[in-house]
Amino acid sequence: MHENRTGWVSRIVTALVFLFLLAPLLVVILASFSPTPIVTFPPKGFSLEWYRNIFTSSTNFLDGFVKSIEVAAIATVVDIFIGVTAALSVSRYSFKGRELLIAFFTSPMYVPSIAFAFVLLQVTSRIGGVSGMFKILIGHMIIIMPYIVRNTLSVLASFNWTLEDAAASLGANPVQTFFKVTIPLAKPGIIAGAMLAFLYSFDEAVLSSLLSSPKFITLPVRIMNYMELSFDPTLAAISTILILMSLSLIVLMERFLGLDMFLK
Amino acid sequence: MKQKKSAFLLALPALIALLAFFVAPMVYILVNTLQASGLDNFVKFFSDSFYLDILKTTLWVSVKVTVLCLLLGYPTAYFMARTQSRMKNVLMIVILFPFLVSAVVRSYGWMVILGNKGILNQILQGIGLIKTPLKIMNTETAVVIGLVHLLLPYMILSITGVVQSIDKNIEYASYSLGANPFETFRKVVFPLSAPGIISGCILVFTMSMTSYVTPKLLGGSKFRMMSTMVFQEVNVNFNWGLASAISYILLFTILIILLIANYATAGIERRVGGGKHA
Repeated sequence: MHENRTGWVSRIVTALVFLFLLAPLLVVILASFSPTPIVTFPPKGFSLEWYRNIFTSSTNFLDGFVKSIEVAAIATVVDIFIGVTAALSVSRYSFKGRELLIAFFTSPMYVPSIAFAFVLLQVTSRIGGVSGMFKILIGHMIIIMPYIVRNTLSVLASFNWTLEDAAASLGANPVQTFFKVTIPLAKPGIIAGAMLAFLYSFDEAVLSSLLSSPKFITLPVRIMNYMELSFDPTLAAISTILILMSLSLIVLMERFLGLDMFLK
Repeated sequence: MKQKKSAFLLALPALIALLAFFVAPMVYILVNTLQASGLDNFVKFFSDSFYLDILKTTLWVSVKVTVLCLLLGYPTAYFMARTQSRMKNVLMIVILFPFLVSAVVRSYGWMVILGNKGILNQILQGIGLIKTPLKIMNTETAVVIGLVHLLLPYMILSITGVVQSIDKNIEYASYSLGANPFETFRKVVFPLSAPGIISGCILVFTMSMTSYVTPKLLGGSKFRMMSTMVFQEVNVNFNWGLASAISYILLFTILIILLIANYATAGIERRVGGGKHA
């Protein structure tokens, strides 16, 4: 009886929360098929015009998409190297100041993106000749690093380090041990961190809007610029594609890695 | 000794990247701002009620967002932690999925719903509940709705993890000693989940303080928060000195709040002995 009553309140709130979380995403998907420029509810028909408009619009969404992928891919690959070695250094060894070092590695999470973006803008405008892409790349590389460090750390925290000794006593050298024992076991955390970092960079709009140059504009900034000119469902069509991308990624993560790591 | 050296070598790439591209620029520009005009821009910010109100709005909106996220997030997290449902994985996907969708896309969704000719007004007018459309877009309400939507998953995830680690038998023990569900919640479950609540609140509060996309898109040009103000000073008013001052005031406000929260957390964990969850 007791259980039912506590369950009752939390069940109703949970149902409302799910409705609230999904509502804007479902509305966007619905709007993308609207036959009219102003979205009506219930819909008065069905049209794919806005999807075609993504490719024919004067705003080059495709170029923005490619540039966002470029930045996210480079920043993530560089950060996998930097972030995983950093996570190893603080979980493999215990030393004084270890906690402080972890806090330092994850500190970009707590610094307002706008402050960091404006600092980068000022520094690069003093140096001069720094390309838009490089500015955004440096910015993203720093702000997504905590995601890789934290996710790798959460796997390494429960790691049994005697496995490395076992590998060594079976004749593996340190390099073999690292690549054949340590990395495979830490892989789920590294992959999850890399996926989150990639998506964060791909969707990032603060650093990207302040640091973009006319030649280098990422997709979220293109979408925001488009909003200033027009509010037609082309935005819904491109948003639907992005929503489906995220949905496929999260389903893949659930299948292959499980979602429990998000609860740490 | 050898251990220390290996740890240092492994940490080196991250240390170099963070020092060169993050710490050094942040410090360099702060020193530069102070050298160029001293504390003038900081004084201007704190003596002009226009700017001070923006800081107040930012803090107030963040408090509202955090409280709403906690009120909606706690029951959901409790449900997620305790449910035996086979649907649990699907529910986790639903929570995580908006969390992986760009803030631009999510704000756009709310614009379609909340606009003057938006879906909410169409429905309310359709069923005859209102005559003139509700004005929600470009108000603080729209920004709060958008931010709660953006940040709620962080709160749910922080609390779910901690509640999951509370032994269900402790709740049964409380019932068998005669406590009702409310007392059990107030005296047992809630205190034990404090670490998750605190970390969730800190995360939501700081992310709300620093948000830019949501207040820009849902708040319109007249609603100002610290981040959108920095942008306006940089790109519209071209007052870089003031923009710098505002960025650092935002940064220091967050650091102070984190320090206070850290101190408070240590105190609470001493009292409830919840250190093992942290």
